[in-house]
Amino acid sequence: MDLLKLYFRSPAAVIGLLLLILILAMAASADLLYPRDPLALAGRPLIWPFSNPRFLLGTDNSGRDIAAQIFHGARISLLIGGVATVISVMIGITIGALAGYYGSWVDTALMRVTEAFQTLPNFLLLLVLVAVFGSTITTVTVAIGIVSWPASARLTRAEFLSLRNREFVQAGRTLGLKDARLIFGEILPNALPPVIVYASVVMAIAILLESALAFLKLSDPNVASWGNLIGAGRDVLRVQWYVSAIPGIAILITVLAVSLVGQGLNDALNPRLKSR
Amino acid sequence: MRVLTLAGRRLAASIPTLILILIGVFLLLQLAPGDTVDALMAQMGGGDAATARQLREFYGLDLSVWAQLGNYLWRLVRLDLGFSAIYGKPVATVIAERLPATILLMTASLSFAFFFGLILGVVAARGVNKWPDTLISTLGLMFYAMPTFWFGLMAIVVFSIYLQWLPAGGFEDITVSYTGLRRTFDIALHLVLPTLTLGLFYMAIYLRIMRGSMLEVLNLDFVRTARSKGMDETRVVVRHVLRNALLPMVTLIGLQAGTMLGGSVVVESVFSLPGLGRLAYESVIQRDLNTLLGIIFVSALLVIAVNFIVDLLYARLDPRITAGN
Amino acid sequence: MDMTRRAALMTSAAIASSVLFPMRSFGQETPRKGGVFTVHYGAEQRQLNPSLQASTGVYIIGGKIQEQLVDLDAKGQPVGVLAESWEAAPDGRTITFKLRPGVTWHDGKPFTSADVQYTAMEMWKKILNYGSTLQLFLTAVDTPDPLTAVFRYERPMPLNLLLRALPDLGYVSPRHLYEGKGDIRQNPVNLAPVGTGPFKFVQYERGQHVIAERNPNYWRANAPYLDRIVWRVVTDRAAAAAQMEAGQIHYSGFSGLTISDSARLGKDPRFIVSTKGNEGNARTNTIEFNFRRKELADIRVRRAIAHALDIPFFIENFLGDFAKRGTGPIPSVSADFYPADNGPQYPFDKKLAAKLLDEAGFKPGAGGTRFSLRLLPAPWGEDVSLFATFIQQSLADVGIKIDIVRTDGGGYLKQVYDDHAFDLATGWHQYRNDPAVSTTVWYRSGQPKGAPWTNQWDWTDPTIDKIIDDAATEVDAAKRKALYGDFVRRANTELPIWTPIEQIFLTAITAKARNHSNTPRWGSSSWHDLWLAE
Repeated sequence: MDLLKLYFRSPAAVIGLLLLILILAMAASADLLYPRDPLALAGRPLIWPFSNPRFLLGTDNSGRDIAAQIFHGARISLLIGGVATVISVMIGITIGALAGYYGSWVDTALMRVTEAFQTLPNFLLLLVLVAVFGSTITTVTVAIGIVSWPASARLTRAEFLSLRNREFVQAGRTLGLKDARLIFGEILPNALPPVIVYASVVMAIAILLESALAFLKLSDPNVASWGNLIGAGRDVLRVQWYVSAIPGIAILITVLAVSLVGQGLNDALNPRLKSR
Repeated sequence: MRVLTLAGRRLAASIPTLILILIGVFLLLQLAPGDTVDALMAQMGGGDAATARQLREFYGLDLSVWAQLGNYLWRLVRLDLGFSAIYGKPVATVIAERLPATILLMTASLSFAFFFGLILGVVAARGVNKWPDTLISTLGLMFYAMPTFWFGLMAIVVFSIYLQWLPAGGFEDITVSYTGLRRTFDIALHLVLPTLTLGLFYMAIYLRIMRGSMLEVLNLDFVRTARSKGMDETRVVVRHVLRNALLPMVTLIGLQAGTMLGGSVVVESVFSLPGLGRLAYESVIQRDLNTLLGIIFVSALLVIAVNFIVDLLYARLDPRITAGN
Repeated sequence: MDMTRRAALMTSAAIASSVLFPMRSFGQETPRKGGVFTVHYGAEQRQLNPSLQASTGVYIIGGKIQEQLVDLDAKGQPVGVLAESWEAAPDGRTITFKLRPGVTWHDGKPFTSADVQYTAMEMWKKILNYGSTLQLFLTAVDTPDPLTAVFRYERPMPLNLLLRALPDLGYVSPRHLYEGKGDIRQNPVNLAPVGTGPFKFVQYERGQHVIAERNPNYWRANAPYLDRIVWRVVTDRAAAAAQMEAGQIHYSGFSGLTISDSARLGKDPRFIVSTKGNEGNARTNTIEFNFRRKELADIRVRRAIAHALDIPFFIENFLGDFAKRGTGPIPSVSADFYPADNGPQYPFDKKLAAKLLDEAGFKPGAGGTRFSLRLLPAPWGEDVSLFATFIQQSLADVGIKIDIVRTDGGGYLKQVYDDHAFDLATGWHQYRNDPAVSTTVWYRSGQPKGAPWTNQWDWTDPTIDKIIDDAATEVDAAKRKALYGDFVRRANTELPIWTPIEQIFLTAITAKARNHSNTPRWGSSSWHDLWLAE
């Protein structure tokens, strides 16, 4: 209850939550409002927004309804962003926590792996993975998750490194607490805030990575993702800029919502801010 | 001397990682559909079976995978990165040609992002929840929520076409050959938009991290003690807060050396810059294994170097952590 | 604001033609010497020597530096460049070229028949793509004197085939820089070409630019006009349009810009956007059927798919006036071979499509789907990906579900032509002035597995094989044309590949350019008469 109160104290966090609810509502209502396949030929290509009541947001260069793609795309982009983030953060936290807590050879070994993944520029590894395994939504999502975990691992480890010798951990150790208890019960909650802030960054990056792949025409063409719409609009960007601009704004709002919620949660979770 | 020994040890420790990466990518790319000859045929727009067979022999693709891998590693031991299929030159030469543009772009973007991220982060944190904070944070969010290529293309439309202030692309003006200072200025002019495009995204991240850490540190006991002792606010910020808040930012620099190279793929493509990022993209598309592995090798060395420096900085910033363990 | 693409394209075409028609007025201007001409270079190649690689990406640079024996004139007829005249023996096995005297290489050495002999035997026959097929039966090139080259063939070589192939496949390289210098493919000259052309190679900065300058010793009097040509490497097409508008690029050929940017620049009086000067680079959009799928082996299904696509609608709304309905494997711009009767065509008729599918026994199942197919679009050209989406949308209406599989260039060729891992593929067929050069291999059976742009559809038709073989060695021009008429009708009847759209590359060029787009393969030609007005 306390947490909720703290969360709702920040107007930014409330706005973020409202935006997120709006996007979720779009995703939920897509089938109701636009029952047709969003990729179907709906009309003449490149109809400007608000010029034809049948296509409120106009049509893209393949004659597909942009509004339908925005609504259906909310699902896809949230799915790609969400699943990739979960994959990425789970791997990151596990590896970072283990490395930071145990130190010595465990740290060395895990950091080697992390380093290996970091050493490969993530977008390059993503390109290789997509070139090898193909551009389906599953491979794209998993690939994005696989390439973006090292940052959260590093962050978790850094927190663990500076926390593991703190008094409360020492105290826990003298009390004979088990490692797992110490890691997940004592240190992790204290190490979590920056990782949570960062998880919203990961989600943002995941959605942006997908759009960058689509920009290079390497994303799944059989789903109505916002990234694909931006990619399609790339060819007509200079005149019919709205084809790219509209999904761009959708991405912007989603990322904004995710970040504001992340930040709001962070502020609410962070016990040190209470005293303010 | 101690630093050098440390660096040597770090490099030695990285060798297994490096080799693992190279073997991993080598084998991964064997699974890819098509080889460099297929890519070449696609580029030529046609050809017959005899041509393809000859080309496969020419590129050594008629050998078994393990023989190819063995050859590659044996060449690597002798510090030979091999011959590039796309460029018809040694990979080392190709990379050396492309490195300056990318290093320039990355350094410029990183400096820009770090400097402005730091300043804006401090300003925002000090005025937390007041209008400067709201404005800066909102702008920051907008910047990283924007797809970089989209921002780049829009910037071209505004600054190169309508205002005609800045060139639309390229590394330097080639219709006139400038020298010396004039050339430096010309290159700098060409790099303004790419730097902004690549840098704004990272600036937004640094800004958030900086602001977050500042807020956290400002509430730590020792800072409050310092304040209550009546220490000057600026001195508190500089001496205590900044020192501690820099930690996560420095971590991120280490992290993002690799990420930025990835980001430069898209930026270099929008602004037609002759950099490593685009070279990497091309070598994936063209299945030019030698060049791709060469780039990975070089960027691995870069990232290892950056992270080593970051660790040293870390030890200086936070005495509780000792470097080298 | 609410300008539809179609309207935009029509306006641009109208402006383009209004600018192109009063060519007479240009004739009255005095050509200006000097100036730097900047060219959009979209796809860097691995090397620049057109004797070794036949592709527009090489011609656009190498074609200014090196020259071929024969080029095409304004009417599309062969005209001598390094050759002054030619003659075929009645049996078609010997073709003699008289070479132009007084021509020197850029390094000052004289050009002789020895260069032609070496290039033909070592490069065209052994390395050059399509060249190796064209010159398969070339046994020797004799050089009775420095200005005579006699090509000897094992089987009759139709003169009109050779003369239509040589503008693309007949570039000559300097023997003295290749012979005895190791592997031809690895020769550094390939990246710093030496030729006899109007422009001399200066510099190539990978990923940035290529520079060539005026050849002061060029054999044509008073040519060239330009001081320099600079090719700027710009891979992003939207960025290339931006650079054109900013004045950093004068010319983007071979449909280097996006359809929408081309339409927009066409309305801008500073630019001319037109298909003119690309008649020798015609292409058709294709749909390839994989006969390994039992559904597609049924001719009724292939015809149903053709009937299900509203091609005029697609052209009108997506491609504009720069494309037209295709009639068969030989495009209508081919004056020498385009047949009067193309055989069966497949107009849009959704009901007929559904009926054909029903007859073939593929009734709609749950959700109205009859069966699903994997469609591989070639990753080049905006029109291919638009067309793939259109195929997906249209076939959904007749109950065929399409999964589009996205690949890069290497992946596409491997999966279609080697692994045969496709049901439908869509891409381009490039017509190279004579069907024997690159068209008939799409239909002739017995193509080695993995050879790109050949019949890999698991379709064998003895009738068409015989027509193709007869035509390839028929020396009588009229009989050859008739045989290719049979070929087109057979192809359209059996439909192993459908060629529904015909396109010519688009050129976007500054309105200040003069003497441009005046030959059917202008973008690839030497530009010796091109000049820039103030």
